[in-house]
Amino acid sequence: MSPLETIPIHVINPLPASLADPVGLTGNAPPLLHELSESVRRLLDTGETTAIDLSALPLTPADLVWLLEKLGTGEIAVTLQANGESTLNETACPGIWWVTHHNEQGAVTSQFIEVALVPELVKAHPLDVKRGYEYLELMMSDL
Amino acid sequence: MNELLFLTWVRGTGLNIAVGIFLLGVLWRLFEIYSLGRKPDLSAPRHASGASGLHTVFRRSLPPPGMLKRSPVSYIGGYIFHVGLAIVVFLFAPHILLITNLIGLSWPGLPSQVVDLAAVVTMAAMVVVLVDRINKPVKRFLSTFEDWFTWAVTFLPVLTGWMAVQHLLLPYTMMLAVHILSVEILLVVLPFTKLFHAFTLVGSRWYNGRVNGHKGVPV
Amino acid sequence: MQGPLIETLVQQGVSRRTFLKYCATLASMMALPPAAGLAMAEAMAAAKRPSVIWLPFQECTGCTESITRSHSPTIEGMIFDMISLDYQETLMAAAGFQAEEARHNAMKENMGKYLLIIDGSIPLGVDGGYSCIGGRSNIDLLQEAAQGAAAIIAMGSCASYGGIPKANPNPTGAVSVSDLIKDKPIVNIPGCPPIPSVMTGVLAHYLTFGSLPELDDKGRPKAFYGETIHDRCYRRPFYDQGKFAKTFDDEGARQGWCLFELGCKGPVTYNACATVKWNGGTSWPVESGHGCLGCSEPDFWDAGSFYKPLSTPADPLKFVAAASVVGAVAGVAVSVANRAKKGAAKSAHETTTLADLEK
Repeated sequence: MSPLETIPIHVINPLPASLADPVGLTGNAPPLLHELSESVRRLLDTGETTAIDLSALPLTPADLVWLLEKLGTGEIAVTLQANGESTLNETACPGIWWVTHHNEQGAVTSQFIEVALVPELVKAHPLDVKRGYEYLELMMSDL
Repeated sequence: MNELLFLTWVRGTGLNIAVGIFLLGVLWRLFEIYSLGRKPDLSAPRHASGASGLHTVFRRSLPPPGMLKRSPVSYIGGYIFHVGLAIVVFLFAPHILLITNLIGLSWPGLPSQVVDLAAVVTMAAMVVVLVDRINKPVKRFLSTFEDWFTWAVTFLPVLTGWMAVQHLLLPYTMMLAVHILSVEILLVVLPFTKLFHAFTLVGSRWYNGRVNGHKGVPV
Repeated sequence: MQGPLIETLVQQGVSRRTFLKYCATLASMMALPPAAGLAMAEAMAAAKRPSVIWLPFQECTGCTESITRSHSPTIEGMIFDMISLDYQETLMAAAGFQAEEARHNAMKENMGKYLLIIDGSIPLGVDGGYSCIGGRSNIDLLQEAAQGAAAIIAMGSCASYGGIPKANPNPTGAVSVSDLIKDKPIVNIPGCPPIPSVMTGVLAHYLTFGSLPELDDKGRPKAFYGETIHDRCYRRPFYDQGKFAKTFDDEGARQGWCLFELGCKGPVTYNACATVKWNGGTSWPVESGHGCLGCSEPDFWDAGSFYKPLSTPADPLKFVAAASVVGAVAGVAVSVANRAKKGAAKSAHETTTLADLEK
């Protein structure tokens, strides 16, 4: 046992709530599901994409956990390493993506639910594709 | 003076002045009224069931037979807005906090949504009562400036408080300051208008019931 | 002025997605719809870097400390590199006449185009003598620098409203920037200190749209100061349920209940702490268990105790005892007068006899 572990520490604050622990649920999450179903319908009908900024809504951590557990996990999980990790995960409902941006310290900087066939951030920008193309050409000319 | 300093003024100096005038007026009038006295009634008391001060205090809160039908707005509207006022004033958490801070008593409050609903119902009842006063020729004829004025100073604190909570018209800081100011106006006005019934209601009913009880008349 | 921002960023190894991600977060912070992040990214990528002159006046350097702690080396720090910070006493290597020269050069070369950032209030007492730099008073320096500025950013509560130096009794005669400069657009970014991201947000807006963000009647960017701390607070549901911490270490405090009763000024404070948070999104005062002090409001220092609930008296009620005594005395005096009147009426009463009636 290291000397550090001999320091008596006990955590008083309750750990983040989960479904089993309904403390902290505000009831603000269920209406969001209705909004999502509207958005998915729009995506199907017109192809219009939607993004919902979760930090702009009065949701507690428990609400977010509830929502995350309700929406479930889909087949695709995209990880983006750009100034901290970002995860763009498909939920059990295809077309609904849970997007979380972390900073380099690992803290969540913003969180969105995106309703789209592919999240915006995953697509490559034409200018970047062009830069890649130039690189490819250059590489092949050196062969 | 900016909004925050205005709020600080109404929470500080303004409240100080208003509570001062309120206490001064209340004590003055209570002393004056209760020191008037009456000559002792030398006649032999007659007893009748239901004829006493205590009976009258409660009986006067109920409409006499037939009156509810003749004047439903006065009774029902009056009841709703008095009960609503009591809920809003005494069961809203920030109000309880103020009372605790002033006199040390404390009790649990209601969720703010419930108080919000009570405020809306109170205001609706007060508006109905006012419209009734305007529409009924007899009531209008009997109304003086004091009646309109006391209605306004009672209504404004509820309206401004509700608007502050709902973030209507003005920024919250300003609206809260206006709300507190309106309550201070109410405090200053209360001892010197018919609003003083808050203090004299029980006493005067008791007195009337007692005098009539002595004569054996349940009123 | 140099090339588009995105080129500089790419040179520094910052990918477009990194930049997009930053813009998405920034749009979220500025309460813009998520789609605006994309528009911002496109506009900002093409923006050019403006010259910035930062003048410190009667201040404590807390605002500078706050900005430099803007979780470097993240993109906020890089954006800061994307402006040309030509004069900042605390951060610049130059000193003395060299520093003065840098300021003069920046002002001359970018006449009418540079951004002027002020932190600290401006003392007017003893001809501005309370705060001087290089032998010149703050007011003198401000008026000179303001002339060629495209816009002025008043950083922190002191520059925005006078702040703590202006607190009663204001010994130095401190005033805010907007008290003195009337002919230039001024953005107030109050806070003691202000949130770093709010600062970079305003700069990003200037870079993106070439204009200052929409301001409210106190000159603050609406995006960050549009709502109160209370309205965006994660503890707000507890306020609505009537669950309050009564002391700083009771069960309610441990459960994270509302801090209203402990004097939180969240309901009357307009700032973005509740959503943007501090120290790279780690936490913010209310989350760490202390009520809001209201540091981004004008004259917050003179607005009563930090630990008194907003709905309770700011000061003890001094007149209560005196008023009660006066009221009681007046009541007794009036009743004595009434009794005297009654007595006089009684004694003046004359008995009417039959003879009187027959007259």
